[in-house]
Amino acid sequence: MTFFLQSFFSGILSGLAYGLLGLGLVLIFRASEAFNFAVGEFLVLGAFLFYIFYFTWHLPFLVALPLGLGAAALFGALVERTTIKPLMGRPHLAMTIVTLGLANVLAGGLQATAGSDPYSFTLDLPDLTVELGTLIYPSPQIWAGILSLVFFCLVLLFLYRTRWGLVIQATSESQPKALCFGINAQFVLLLVWAIATVCIGAAGVVIANLGALSCQTSLVGLRAMPVILIGGLDSIPGALVGGLIVGVVEALTGAYVEPMGLIGFKEVIPYLVLLIALFIRPYGLFGTVRIERV
Amino acid sequence: MLEVENLRVVYQEVISVLHGVSLKVRDGEITVLLGANGAGKTTMLRTICGLLPVYDGKIIEGNVLLDQTSLNRLDSSAIVKKYRITYVMEERPVFWYLTVEQNLKAAAFSRWDREVPPDIEKVMTIFPVLGSLRDTKAGYLSGGEQQMLTIGMALMTKPKILLLDEPSLGLAPLIVRELFSIIRGLNKQGLTIFLVEQNAHAALSVAARGYVIESGRIVLEGPAEELIKNKDVREFYLGAAMADQKRFREAKRYKRRKRWL
Repeated sequence: MTFFLQSFFSGILSGLAYGLLGLGLVLIFRASEAFNFAVGEFLVLGAFLFYIFYFTWHLPFLVALPLGLGAAALFGALVERTTIKPLMGRPHLAMTIVTLGLANVLAGGLQATAGSDPYSFTLDLPDLTVELGTLIYPSPQIWAGILSLVFFCLVLLFLYRTRWGLVIQATSESQPKALCFGINAQFVLLLVWAIATVCIGAAGVVIANLGALSCQTSLVGLRAMPVILIGGLDSIPGALVGGLIVGVVEALTGAYVEPMGLIGFKEVIPYLVLLIALFIRPYGLFGTVRIERV
Repeated sequence: MLEVENLRVVYQEVISVLHGVSLKVRDGEITVLLGANGAGKTTMLRTICGLLPVYDGKIIEGNVLLDQTSLNRLDSSAIVKKYRITYVMEERPVFWYLTVEQNLKAAAFSRWDREVPPDIEKVMTIFPVLGSLRDTKAGYLSGGEQQMLTIGMALMTKPKILLLDEPSLGLAPLIVRELFSIIRGLNKQGLTIFLVEQNAHAALSVAARGYVIESGRIVLEGPAEELIKNKDVREFYLGAAMADQKRFREAKRYKRRKRWL
């Protein structure tokens, strides 16, 4: 039982980080109706930007984090301006394809500048290691959970409690409608991409903190796909729940199935769960129930 | 005064929709634009309020002028914000997944100031039905309620000129009547209204001037009371059959006479 609890809760903790990652994608999907395939590269880039401020320039964590994520936001805004905005009024598939290209360009660029060696990435944060009897949760995991949850809540507050959040919701529903009421949809999209990049970058920082940072960390970005597809592509609570499901399933598989000789099954299981979830609910667990007027 | 001069508009570089349209919307009046489906009415409104780029359309000739200032190159948010022209799209452009109150707030975004909450209350008194539906998602409202909300949202942008695209679309006759009395009321308070309609009778009864557009050209114009008496308008838009066309089968809906040149 302790073994189960141990892996279950560490799954929850990494699931929170996946949820934050999913949130970034959901925001982009709702606003641009594009799936951002460059999520893994955004994640690594966000983590590297933070790395520069924190490890290279030795700024304190509370300064480096906003600076790093601010730089990530700028980057997200830049990507939106240069690649997404020119495609306004075109089919949404065009933007999705652009993100595919972007993923390759960024992956190459990161590889060229940072090299392929891993960088050690250990945040100097207060030790929060939890020991409950035989249960042990190392500090980085706890911090991953806490930071992810904090970011998730901040984004939710912004989205549901401010008027900017309101127009983001409105623009996400329909750009032409928003435009004709004088909402500057272009700027709203810019904002959404910036916020989403911050989410993805923050997830990158906490995920890198669990191990090390290298260009291969971008593979974690693939995990975002089952996360938001299980939860529902356009659902914000779905991103969190999907993240938790993926995290827990992954941890439990790592604990119970892999020792049976199925090494690497942990990487596959989220997609299996995704397949099952899509059979049962094609829109995802929390995908929008479309308002239908009869 | 809002003027459109010799406007030519194409979509996707090739599909020509408006072929040299000129019209005038005088301050403080209701001007109506009549036309069948596909005549270019909606394109006209999109052009005025700067929404063409969103639909991959382009002005290739002509001008949209507001008091002699050209609006051609401006984007929609500038037109709403600075020139106070608000376009209300057809089919009731409310945000379905927001509540009534959130809809009104979102519409007021371009001019956010302290006046917004009192203005929301004001809209609620103009349309009492919205007051009781404050926290309902707009997608669940009936067509009539959605249309009231749409006009309420348009008012939240504090327009000087309101462009209405087929407000009567899909509404019951009684609601249409209520709607047009509201439109007339707004006009009495000094709002200039440019109304695009297929419901010619209702529209001409509130309007001061009217234009008839066919295949991207203005074919008739004049004061509303003259248009309502015009033989062609009566035949094509008011449904009055000619003596030799009593059988429905023979009445070609889109029969057009060459009325220009």
